[in-house]
Amino acid sequence: MLMTKEQYIESLRQMKTRVYMFGEQVENWVDHPIIRPSIECVGMTYELASDPEYADLCTAKSSYTGETVNRFTHLHQSTDDLIKKVKMLRLLGQKTASCFQRCVGMDAFNAMFSTTYELDKKHGTNYHENFNNFLKMVQENDYVVDGAMTDPKGDRGLAPSAQKDPDLFLHIVERREDGIVVRGAKAHQTGCVNSHWHIVMPTQAMREDDADYAVAFATPTDAEGIYMIYGRQSCDTRKMEEGADVDLGNAVFGGQEALVVFDNVFIPNEYVFMAGEYDFSNMIVERFAGYHRQSYGGCKVGVGDVLIGAAALAAEYNGAQKASHVKDKLIEMVHLNETLYCCGIACSAEGQATEAGNYQIDLLLANVCKQNVTRFPYDITRLAEDIAGGLMVTMPAESDFNSDLVVGNAGETVGEICNKYFVGSPACTTEERMRVLRLIENMCLGTAAVGYRTESLHGAGSPQAQRIMIARQGNLEAKKALAKNIAGIK
Amino acid sequence: MKCGVRFCGGCNPRFERGEVFREFKRDITNIEFTYADENEHYDILLVIGGCQSCCAAYEQYDVKGDVYKIWDISQVETIKEKLAKL
Repeated sequence: MLMTKEQYIESLRQMKTRVYMFGEQVENWVDHPIIRPSIECVGMTYELASDPEYADLCTAKSSYTGETVNRFTHLHQSTDDLIKKVKMLRLLGQKTASCFQRCVGMDAFNAMFSTTYELDKKHGTNYHENFNNFLKMVQENDYVVDGAMTDPKGDRGLAPSAQKDPDLFLHIVERREDGIVVRGAKAHQTGCVNSHWHIVMPTQAMREDDADYAVAFATPTDAEGIYMIYGRQSCDTRKMEEGADVDLGNAVFGGQEALVVFDNVFIPNEYVFMAGEYDFSNMIVERFAGYHRQSYGGCKVGVGDVLIGAAALAAEYNGAQKASHVKDKLIEMVHLNETLYCCGIACSAEGQATEAGNYQIDLLLANVCKQNVTRFPYDITRLAEDIAGGLMVTMPAESDFNSDLVVGNAGETVGEICNKYFVGSPACTTEERMRVLRLIENMCLGTAAVGYRTESLHGAGSPQAQRIMIARQGNLEAKKALAKNIAGIK
Repeated sequence: MKCGVRFCGGCNPRFERGEVFREFKRDITNIEFTYADENEHYDILLVIGGCQSCCAAYEQYDVKGDVYKIWDISQVETIKEKLAKL
């Protein structure tokens, strides 16, 4: 059953999720001005799925039931599914200009499905069936699920079990007949507050000593013992300002991250997908990371589309659109953005079936994709700022533009003075110019920069993580053999 | 005559696909255009793609006659002429 956006938001109100911000508990977090934009973003994943103009990308046929489900809850059945995933993410980036958060769950589903299958085969466990039952329930209810991988990690030089504080990596603290009890936290969790469920996965490869840290499971977001401490974003409190609109740049949509704390949370056996099988923690990490690195070849491209459009508008509003260097910079932005898309499509087109039957991406190409994502959005934002000009960071507030306070000798108000001196080309009003510059500010260094810049760098693994994978998958010996052959070396 | 209409997902359309759909509904009055539904039967199917890959899936629909595809704004008039003659 597909939920509507309205039903999704209403479903959140029924939850008892514990959220803390600025040192206080947020009771009505659904309507909180800092949180609500991220809910609107996820809401778009529902809205587009029910719109015939977008349903081809945003829905799929369930491999379990044949029913139409939201693609965010789907197991990829072909390379076409992988490609459509990337296209869907681009579309959502275009519609929200933000991180829309729901891809982590989809990537966790696909990684967990194939990993539990292979894990059961080796260990004789029953995790795959647990997972299938869970995912069927998710599809049936069209739930949002946070894919939680990253632990706080403490001293990076020490293994999980060697940390001074054992909770710096999430771990099993008690094994009962009917389930496990876990303690620890997951950091930087995108979309965690407005998710119905969480899938928790280990954060890295584990050794025997770390067996209690090799744990994967699903839990409702409002389960007893779970709470979240909301992450700050640059310029976030602008959303708290009365009548805030223009100054927000993007008044409707935004992303969300938080620290999710698991304070002795009981997980019934039916929701446990890994509990000590440390030899499979690397598989789940690599597969999840691979899918998520593919994701960035879609979502960041869609957000990039909006930023390129905003830069082109800023050029027009500044009257600089005919300058050859401006045209060239826009071309460069498109080139960089479409290069990311090429990578997203390529790693999907070269995908293959797993033993369990769902499809996974080409790991090398997905890592190349993400490696480019760690760089190109930075280049694109630099070019956008170049085209926009310094006004995007020096412009007075919206309230100044609207002020009736008389300041001039001839009786001019602050608003009139702002409108006089910040006028651009006749192609736009001063407010339109202000709006597009604020949008660029929002994406380059405001709330949306969390998703478009730093998340591009560290999300789905920091740059070095991809370089390790590229080194493993790079097939260097075959390349040396090619060179020897051409050079006539025996 | 009943025509099901299927859109691609619109990830990077080169023209306004919804507007083209409305144009067909407005200009071709001898055909009933509706969003394609798997539980319905159609005489023909119109697939509106936003770019040349025209990647919309449409095999799931029950269509008696031809499938017409558009992936470029320049094709609209030609398809309209064809449909007007049906």
